[in-house]
Amino acid sequence: MLSRVAENLYWISRYLERVESVARLLDDSFQLELDAAGLHAAASGERPVESVLSILGCKEAFHKAHPNGGRSEVLKFLTFERDHADSMLSMIGRARENARGTQETLSAEVWGQINRLYLYLCGRQARRRYRTSPSRFFEGIKRSCILYTGLVESTLPRSEVYHFLQFGRYLERVMQLSRILGVKVQALRQVEPLAAGSLRVVYSTSLLQSCSAYDAYIRQAHEQIDPLGAVGYLMLDPDFPRSMRFGVDRACVALRAISGGDEHGFATEAERLLGRLGSDLRFLDLDEVIHRGLEQFLTEVLSTCHRVAHEVHQTYFLA
Amino acid sequence: MNRRVFDAGPFDQYERHGFDEMFAEDGQPRPHYAALYNRLATLSAEDMESRHHMADLVMRRQGITFTVYGRGEGLEQIIPFDPIPRLISSEEWETIERGLEQRVRALNAFVHDVYHDRLILKDRVVPAELVVGASGYQRECVGLRVPRDIYIHISGIDLIRDEHGRFLVLEDNARTPSGVSYVLNNRHVMKQVFPFLFQQYNVRPIDDYPANLLATLRAIDPSGRDDPTVAVMTPGVYNSAYFEHSFLARQMGVELVEGRDLFFDGGYVYMRTTRGPRRVDVLYRRVDDRSLDPLAFDRTSVLGVPGLYGALRAGNLGLANALGTGVCDDKAIYPFVPEFVRYYLREEPILANVETFRLTEPSHRQHVLSNLEKLVVKAVDGSGGYGMLIGPASTKAQREEFARKIEADPRRFIAQPTISLSQHPTFVDGRLAGRHIDLRPFVLFGDQVRVLPGGLTRVALPKGSLVVNSSQGGGTKDTWVLRGDPPEKIEGPGELQGD
Repeated sequence: MLSRVAENLYWISRYLERVESVARLLDDSFQLELDAAGLHAAASGERPVESVLSILGCKEAFHKAHPNGGRSEVLKFLTFERDHADSMLSMIGRARENARGTQETLSAEVWGQINRLYLYLCGRQARRRYRTSPSRFFEGIKRSCILYTGLVESTLPRSEVYHFLQFGRYLERVMQLSRILGVKVQALRQVEPLAAGSLRVVYSTSLLQSCSAYDAYIRQAHEQIDPLGAVGYLMLDPDFPRSMRFGVDRACVALRAISGGDEHGFATEAERLLGRLGSDLRFLDLDEVIHRGLEQFLTEVLSTCHRVAHEVHQTYFLA
Repeated sequence: MNRRVFDAGPFDQYERHGFDEMFAEDGQPRPHYAALYNRLATLSAEDMESRHHMADLVMRRQGITFTVYGRGEGLEQIIPFDPIPRLISSEEWETIERGLEQRVRALNAFVHDVYHDRLILKDRVVPAELVVGASGYQRECVGLRVPRDIYIHISGIDLIRDEHGRFLVLEDNARTPSGVSYVLNNRHVMKQVFPFLFQQYNVRPIDDYPANLLATLRAIDPSGRDDPTVAVMTPGVYNSAYFEHSFLARQMGVELVEGRDLFFDGGYVYMRTTRGPRRVDVLYRRVDDRSLDPLAFDRTSVLGVPGLYGALRAGNLGLANALGTGVCDDKAIYPFVPEFVRYYLREEPILANVETFRLTEPSHRQHVLSNLEKLVVKAVDGSGGYGMLIGPASTKAQREEFARKIEADPRRFIAQPTISLSQHPTFVDGRLAGRHIDLRPFVLFGDQVRVLPGGLTRVALPKGSLVVNSSQGGGTKDTWVLRGDPPEKIEGPGELQGD
């Protein structure tokens, strides 16, 4: 496959995965603010919707653009603002531009879906729905992204095209999760002194929900939600598709499929880095992670992901 | 001017001017249009509107767009699609097809001759200075051999119909003609918009175009490998025809490459892939000659591949269309094409040209200058409706400006009488109205000559306009070449609501 095309594909997936994540985070934090918990949080620190800015690392950019912006400015900033590179509209626009430049390698269905999502977000219907009910709007975006993923799964042969899309998606998913955990765990720590058991539950629930993991966790844990249990689940569960371990494994599988390597070794530096992270996640238990320092661990995960991205760039995109 | 008012449904207020594709002089539908006419006459305005809307939606969602220049980075638009199909009977098509094949063979022989023996210049059939002065003439191609001696692998020959219903060639596009993706997509949309009508009309299929195009490209592979690597080369996503480039690459299952994806090494062209360099044997390029290789041609161009010309010289790359075919697109060459048919093929031309005045001829020039208000003046290297003077629609100042330009450089222009293009019922504001149309059929020339049945019918949407170009607000419609006799009447879909 052309190197330029491979790079485009990788970014299409990363952008769309990020869009889905932003939609989920905004939806979840908006819901949280509607609850009384939002008031508590406002008293104790960052409001839920603002915490999304921290997760996405664009708090400064936001305050620069909207010095006195409140909740509705944050939502709009991350949704419709063309001038902001990390808004959903900008990201879908870039995904769409990349897809337009590589549409001959995608299936017509996959390209059509990206194009439709972009046209929808640019149009009036999206704004109307957003004004009536942000939650329904975000729900629609999540569905569109998942439909894209489904079309990738069901219309593309397992060739390099597919594997680059997979790699981009899972790498982005792991990075998003590291950031979400980092910010949410800190928030949990801050509300702890308030010690209201119910608030801990609300926050853990929100953490799980922002990763679409609530139902899965409950079924597996069979008990009242406990923050550490939730963190452990999101990081180490082998079977949940949005856990860190799952994502790292899949990204690694995709890279091996691209290089033609097998699971006993590694053909590229990127595979080695991801493989080592994967075995950490497989053999560590949560106590060890906590012992080493959760924040420290999450930072390491992120830096590994950046190195992996760099290596893949060197190996495949600069050919 | 004959004029008639109809009263059936959407044909209410229909006016007939000049040659009408659907209605004969007596106002009755022509035999092959009768069934279509009867079906359309029963449709309500809402029904028509909804089908029109459906067509737009399908195109927008699939990103079937072209890019308009001159506004920022370029604005993507869909070409307006008219849901009323244009019909061509099997007899009419048979003549067109033979005429096109003949013309393309003659043009090809001409290009070969111009860059090799130059017999036609020595025999003074066409003035040498016109040929070597043509904007598409490339000095670098003199003596350059191309696989099978074929130059014009893909051409789009524009045809119009005059007031007598005669098909005439308006111009030849032998460089990088575009529009074939709209032909294929219009058909796809039509099958969704008027499925039953389409089915019963027994229309010649066009789906094999991509396979034929690929066969044509493979036929000029110089490598002799079993499975040559073919790629489509595009200037990039901001090119107005980018959709088409990507569409064709997808339909053929080959890579779509840009100049930056390619490099030249040791006589060959390679593309950069995730598995390292891969040799390219045939390029279907949609990049202009002068932009193909900054070392050989335009140094400032960033679209091409330094060294590509070297691969051509070494005979290691099949290029479609070959370098230098643009010499046929020059409108000053066009008046001589019927002569090419006689000179190279020793046949009489089946398709005639539009009468054309050559401004380098003093007698022609004098005639043109004193009749500007009746003529159309075109720049020889103009396209897309730019650089034209349409006499009857021009102002005195415009005519004076053109007169000055012609006198300053007569080689740059030709003039033709204004021909009233044929008109066709077209959906406008809830009813049907006559609008001018032309036709661009596509001809492939590789292991054999293949003509795509039909082609791109373009419609001038503003009332009375003669300019059908998409860059000037023209639309398109599906073109149906009938196989055998037309149906007597269109059966509905039965229980279901349909057309």
